[in-house]
Amino acid sequence: MFVWSIAVRNLRRRRLRTALTVSGIVVGISMMFILLSLVSGMESQARSMVRALGGADIIVSNSTSFRNGMGGPLGALPSPSTLDESIVDAIGGIQGVYAISPQFSFSCSVNGRRITVYGVEPKSYEIVTGGLNIAEGRFLTENSNREIVLGKALMEFLNLTVGQTVSLNTGQEGREQTFNIVGVFETGMFFQEYAAYITLADAQNITGEYGLITQILVKCEDPSIVSDVASAISSTVPGVRVTTPTAVLQQANQMLNTLTMFFATIGLVALFAGSFGVVNTMMMSVTERTREIGILKAIGAKSYDIMKIFLAESLLIGLIGGGAGVAAGSILAYLFPTLTSGIFAIGISPFGMRNPFSGAAGRGWGSRATSAIIFTTPAITPINIIVCFSLGAFVGILAGLYPAWRASRMRPVEALRHV
Amino acid sequence: MSRLIVRTIDLSKVYRRGKVSVLALRNVNLQIAAGEIAGIMGPSGSGKTTLLNLIGGLDKPTNGRIFVDGVDITALGERELADYRLKKVGFVFQFYNLIPTLTALENVEIPLALAGVPKNERRERALNLLKMVGLEDRAEHKPDELSGGEQQRVAIARALINNPSIVLADEPTGDLDSKSALALMNLIKDLNRRNGQTFIIVTHDPIVAERCTKIYTIRDGQIESA
Repeated sequence: MFVWSIAVRNLRRRRLRTALTVSGIVVGISMMFILLSLVSGMESQARSMVRALGGADIIVSNSTSFRNGMGGPLGALPSPSTLDESIVDAIGGIQGVYAISPQFSFSCSVNGRRITVYGVEPKSYEIVTGGLNIAEGRFLTENSNREIVLGKALMEFLNLTVGQTVSLNTGQEGREQTFNIVGVFETGMFFQEYAAYITLADAQNITGEYGLITQILVKCEDPSIVSDVASAISSTVPGVRVTTPTAVLQQANQMLNTLTMFFATIGLVALFAGSFGVVNTMMMSVTERTREIGILKAIGAKSYDIMKIFLAESLLIGLIGGGAGVAAGSILAYLFPTLTSGIFAIGISPFGMRNPFSGAAGRGWGSRATSAIIFTTPAITPINIIVCFSLGAFVGILAGLYPAWRASRMRPVEALRHV
Repeated sequence: MSRLIVRTIDLSKVYRRGKVSVLALRNVNLQIAAGEIAGIMGPSGSGKTTLLNLIGGLDKPTNGRIFVDGVDITALGERELADYRLKKVGFVFQFYNLIPTLTALENVEIPLALAGVPKNERRERALNLLKMVGLEDRAEHKPDELSGGEQQRVAIARALINNPSIVLADEPTGDLDSKSALALMNLIKDLNRRNGQTFIIVTHDPIVAERCTKIYTIRDGQIESA
């Protein structure tokens, strides 16, 4: 314990020097922290964007995006163009396809609120996408009839609970139907939760578009063959657009890894420079206190004890630098979006693609999503805090090793002669 | 004569300064009995401090052996020697050599901390010793807030804290006025009487010499009279 009091008091005795040394570490750590937070921010956004595309490996839709111009009588949300259900078999026959799930999405008002409703085949939907994240109640079943699963945000907005009924209206004459709410799903992204799921049959029934679908979700036998399967689909089935969310995610991850490496290198260089300050300060401290080392050795301190005293001092510099660096980094990361409107949007723009699933969400809430991408918000994650803080401590120890070793090697008689 | 606490056999120390060799001690055979206050006197450069450093395990002899309490300390490794310095001997220096950033109390505690004594016990023992040297009310003062005499008494308390069998003092009154020097020697005599510790004091000071139980004079690296 006296090791720490000696270390603390020596740092306090030379306040200015300590502050200057610490700031070298602070610069490196805060830089590292901001950059890592930025990458984390991009990562979580990329992930949510890809999640918004659904869990399918491949999404097949009509190559013309929207039908009916700008939508029905309410004039707000257009619905995606349709495909004939027979395409399902054509795609199912392509090699490498593990499972497929047809889907019919359309714009519809639910209790007066216009949203996108997805008509799905519950069983194949779960196989292909992994299913929805059900927060309450249950998902649809094969036998569901006039049952609906709503997003959590929408439920809250419409003030509904599971077990109640909602009224769906496509805007066409006489197309109003009542559905039982059987479940609530949650995605964590607000705009995605303004949606609802019913069975494909119900969807075709309410819209009157029997035998038609809007998308086909495809799961491949192996993630590595996704792009091969995708090109096979676009070459064998005419008039479709093929999107591969997993490929986008892979690309995104690759880019983010590169970014992380790049940023981490910048941060490490800064930290490396700062660590020389610590080495320098510790060397000075050792020289300055040669006599003290001699005294301590004369009264029985072992080399190991001397080493501990100096390592404690440099560890403290590292800890203070790490702590202050994380704090400064957090503040800067917090201010970051307001400082750099959109610079980092360039890096992330590949995900700014339209949500191919739902023209409705793409328009209505998509604007929200797009703005979220442009103002990349750094994410301050516990991992980043721990990494940066420990890095500070590690640099402190590392920079202190040589000076501490030098100190511990001093011979008592010679050290005592030092004035 | 009582039991021998320090015995040197043909002790020699040669310092090399570049190409020149300086013979600091030559074949010193010294015997100091337990409980003595031994004064080591002699002109400067005669090897007094060298002898003290060798007995204290701060330095290694070129030749010869040193037995302290029956143990040959010249055969000890670096770690054991540090342990020997910690537990068997206490050092008092001319310029007090307290750690400037620590309080009087903490300075006295250092050897206990090095020996791994728990904090509460450390506090208590250090306070007791400060009381013994008459400085209990200065416990929380830093060295630069203490007079020379007070600092030297703190140094003595620090030297005694691990109950060493020998206290080695190198010109302990060298930087003190005669009043403080006298007070210090009276303290040493008192401690010696009460605890039976052996003191080996290198000195020029007649105030010290008068109060030693035995004087060894060293000249040109050799003991002249014993």
